[in-house]
Amino acid sequence: MSSEHVKIRVTNLTKRFGDLTVLDSIAFEVKAGELVAIVGPTGCGKTTFLNTLSKLMPATEGSILIDGEEANPRRHNISYVFQEPTCLPWRTVRENVAYGMEIKGVPHAERMERTDRIMEIVGLSSCAHLYPNQVSASMVQRIAVSRAFAVEPDLLLMDEPYGQLDVKLRYYLEDELVTLWQKLQSTVLFVTHNIEEAVYVAERILVLSNKPTKVKAEIPVDLPRPRDFLEPRFMEIRQQVTELIRWW
Amino acid sequence: MGYEEVRVDRPLLLRLLPFISVGTFLLLWEWSVRSGMVPEVLLAPPSQVFSLFFEKLSEPNPDGAVLAVHAWTSLQEAFLGYGLSLLVGIPLGLAMGWFRIVEGIARPIFELIRPIPPIAWIPLTVFWFGIGLTGKVFIIWIAGIVPCVINAYVGVRMTQPTLIQMARTYGATDWQIFCQLCVPSALPMIFGALQIALAYCWTNLVGAELLAADTGLGYLITMGGRLGRPDIVVLGMVCVGLSGAILGFIIDIIEKRLLAGIRR
Repeated sequence: MSSEHVKIRVTNLTKRFGDLTVLDSIAFEVKAGELVAIVGPTGCGKTTFLNTLSKLMPATEGSILIDGEEANPRRHNISYVFQEPTCLPWRTVRENVAYGMEIKGVPHAERMERTDRIMEIVGLSSCAHLYPNQVSASMVQRIAVSRAFAVEPDLLLMDEPYGQLDVKLRYYLEDELVTLWQKLQSTVLFVTHNIEEAVYVAERILVLSNKPTKVKAEIPVDLPRPRDFLEPRFMEIRQQVTELIRWW
Repeated sequence: MGYEEVRVDRPLLLRLLPFISVGTFLLLWEWSVRSGMVPEVLLAPPSQVFSLFFEKLSEPNPDGAVLAVHAWTSLQEAFLGYGLSLLVGIPLGLAMGWFRIVEGIARPIFELIRPIPPIAWIPLTVFWFGIGLTGKVFIIWIAGIVPCVINAYVGVRMTQPTLIQMARTYGATDWQIFCQLCVPSALPMIFGALQIALAYCWTNLVGAELLAADTGLGYLITMGGRLGRPDIVVLGMVCVGLSGAILGFIIDIIEKRLLAGIRR
């Protein structure tokens, strides 16, 4: 699936708020088309980490390179799926999916074509003309995920996008995420506190430490897909990650 | 995924309730005057006002103009003032909410002018514009602009921060965020402002017509007072109230159409 081409290179990423060091010289690489999960103990600064990566927040030190160039939301395609719903209530489902591409200036015909394709994959076609407050919470999160994939991002950041959904829907949407990622070959950083979810979706897991946050370990997940929660190797990796971040 | 739009009808009683309440109010009013509880020199019963209404449709005396002329004058003044206050107030409020520079310049002046009641401007208005239409429109404009600015400003400020972050990560410019996120987010507040500003303009109409007027609903009320005719006073008041309510109702309908996605 993933080529050996390094897409994202983060070096010495540091973020301080006054005296408080939240991120402490984080360094890692992500290959093009890779899906990397990031897990860490509660309050370890995962959201700060993503906000810095997405350039919403300036880093104190360090650099984030996309294809060897300093990351810039205007030049690069960066998508961010937030934990909370971020649909525009005055746009229909379809217009919401197309919104990211609109800002990116994707030509109309191509925009329509990509919107249709993605909505088909995630099963949003039937509610294309409805407004976000007329569809369920899981649908709303699907819209955000579709919008993020639709811009064909260089880097797709996801901040616990399924954290507020029930278990059954989660499984369903995790499968959908993997399908989307496989079909569109985007580079994805998926932050979660759910270890099982991380092992289920990711090709590699970065484990973060407590504050000041560093990358504590890197665990490759070399399991075939579709993955099985009950398979011994799956449970072994899950156990391994759990041991690394246990705080109790 | 069977998503369908569903229509729910309101129960009959709820739909009739507004008519019942207005009807009861009118009956009580009529009865209180007829039974002598309120002397007729102080208040006219609705039936008398009603017949005066038809009489005034064609009879210019004793105040000098038929009802339609009064209403037309008032509507003209109110709408010019109202329109101008929307035209200036809403863009100003929106810009104040998003652009720091505009806020820094306009806000202190606005905060100083805001607490001054519109009718306090009457003497200056006479100096500046004389006693014609312009002066009245100015008073009404002053009255209407305040809620426009405040609501548009607050509406922009209430834009959900994660929506702005989302747009930023896609690389949206400040101007794009303003137009595509802040303005639509502010729309419910702006429609609120349309209603409030209309009420302010309409209520200040009478004040504005204190400036030597010879027609207008406010003038009709003043004349009724001078002539000691409570029926004319009440007729003027009812006309101001009714037309204000009708205008408010029309704005409400437009609002519901436009805000389908936000408030459904």
